[in-house]
Amino acid sequence: MFFARGPIEDMQILRLVIERILLSLLTLLLVSLVIFFMLEILPGDVATRILGRDATPESLAALRAQLHLGDPALLRYATWLGNLLTGNLGHSLVSDRLITAILAPRIFNTVLLSIYAFLIYIPLTAIPAMIQAVRRDRAVDHGLSVVTLVLLSMPDFLLGTALLILFVIMVPILPAISLVDETSGAGEYIRAMTLPAVTLAIVMAVYAVRMLRDNLIEVLDSDYVRMAELKGLSPRRVLLRHALPNALVPTLNVTALNLAYLVGGVVVVEKIFGYPGFGSLLVDALQLRDLPLIEATIMIAASVYIVANLLADVGAILLNPRLRQG
Amino acid sequence: MAVADPTLSPLHRLRRFDWSRTPLSLRIGGAILAVHLILAVIGPFVAPYGYAQMGAGIPLSGMSWTHPFGVDQLGRDIFSRVIYGGHIVILLSLCGTALGLVLGAILGLLSGYVGGWIDNLLQRLLEALISIPFLVLALLAIAAAGPEAAGDPVLVVFVVALVYAPRIARMARSAAIDIATRDFVTIARLRGESAWSVMRRELLPNATSVLLVEFALRAGYAPVLIGSLGFLGFGMRPPTPEWGLMIAENRALLIISPVTVLGPGLALASLVVGLNLFTEGFARILGRSVKLGTR
Repeated sequence: MFFARGPIEDMQILRLVIERILLSLLTLLLVSLVIFFMLEILPGDVATRILGRDATPESLAALRAQLHLGDPALLRYATWLGNLLTGNLGHSLVSDRLITAILAPRIFNTVLLSIYAFLIYIPLTAIPAMIQAVRRDRAVDHGLSVVTLVLLSMPDFLLGTALLILFVIMVPILPAISLVDETSGAGEYIRAMTLPAVTLAIVMAVYAVRMLRDNLIEVLDSDYVRMAELKGLSPRRVLLRHALPNALVPTLNVTALNLAYLVGGVVVVEKIFGYPGFGSLLVDALQLRDLPLIEATIMIAASVYIVANLLADVGAILLNPRLRQG
Repeated sequence: MAVADPTLSPLHRLRRFDWSRTPLSLRIGGAILAVHLILAVIGPFVAPYGYAQMGAGIPLSGMSWTHPFGVDQLGRDIFSRVIYGGHIVILLSLCGTALGLVLGAILGLLSGYVGGWIDNLLQRLLEALISIPFLVLALLAIAAAGPEAAGDPVLVVFVVALVYAPRIARMARSAAIDIATRDFVTIARLRGESAWSVMRRELLPNATSVLLVEFALRAGYAPVLIGSLGFLGFGMRPPTPEWGLMIAENRALLIISPVTVLGPGLALASLVVGLNLFTEGFARILGRSVKLGTR
């Protein structure tokens, strides 16, 4: 993004980026429509769906009044969307607490977990990929390829359970249940987050390792790396300073996609380890059929996903001169 | 190499089939899949115990020759349950993916061929569905279906189809846009054929290789999706021996008998590895590359 270029090209890029942002906003609006349609407009009585078949007529009537189910669907959607935009997510049906108050600590926990997972993800991607690229087509390379392929096919809940057996039951060094709250110290947080973070990091890394390996091999074959080698630079310096940064650029896209995976991944992984984050909140809300909370969490999950994809697109436009022509 | 003649149509390449010249991944994947398919078909006849038969052994008694994968807390033989589970997982995955393929292919091909505002509108809508992480979308659909439909295999099939159809439609659409520029499509249009018949007779036959690879790729991930739903308690219901659900059931007493999750875990992982290897090799024969693990 720091290459020399003229003002006209800059304008083109700006237009392209703004176009992508507007499209993302439109998608977000449609997502809200999909969520609302599926949960509140599909045939069938919403109140019965929440309370179940054996609810009394009085409780059904009370819930209908609370959710304004008597109003026209379009009006309800407009009200809901308006409230969403002003940050007024309403109250939980189950605990009657403000949804924003329920969400805040959970989102905080999940953000912490995601940062931790990304910190593990970076070396977990870079080191195997570098080993594979340097020892290309040797036994190590093939061995690691098989490992990544197997791990790639491994469902995240299976991987999490395997890690749980390994580090909680066979070698008991980590807690089985990752329960934390506001009173927990940093050490407790780190112990609680380690297994979920490692699970997420492995799932993300196996996806990126294969791409980084191929990119590294391509870069290692390029003229400027040959040049650096012929200048007599040490192999380590050539790999780390000359090859790696250039091989990382295409991997950025994968990393953004991994961020998008994380939004869905936390649902399963947090549930395995009982980590009180955003993902386990969604599962709990679904189990309790807490409609306003379900709508809010899914809306947030989709927003993060859309923003992550937007960042990937914009990053690709800025970094790849060929895409700039649009 | 089996990818000998690029001028041959994909289906011709498939017809000139020679196992010894296929990619290794196809052979290994095919072998794993064959074992799974055979077990799924004959499993219920060879399983030593019933899938819901309690008292098959001492609960949580661990591995033994009579119970290779142990016994769960209700005294059911896990080996038998894993074998019974095979046909459920495979059948649900195939039905769901096939339904998603049919819906996605029709939507994608028509939308790409017709173009204009219909295409635009449909693309935005499909984009919105893709923007909800697939597991979250699946959970949303299950919440929308309500508590009465919970645990219904038909619901699981519909959910898999709903998750995959938009993703398959996107691939089908770009294939259709590519094919629509060819002369034979123009001629068909000038003959006055309707969009539906152009899609069925011109676009579909030429998009087969794209759609087949897409089907294999999605089918490879469907067992994971179904397993994840079962694991979270939103998929199949007990006592169905669905592997994800079995892992969830046995997790509570993992400390006493960790071997109880080994059977369903191995079955699920090997099925997905087999499907992925097969897809990779299959795609190479058709002259395409796939990105495994695309979510």
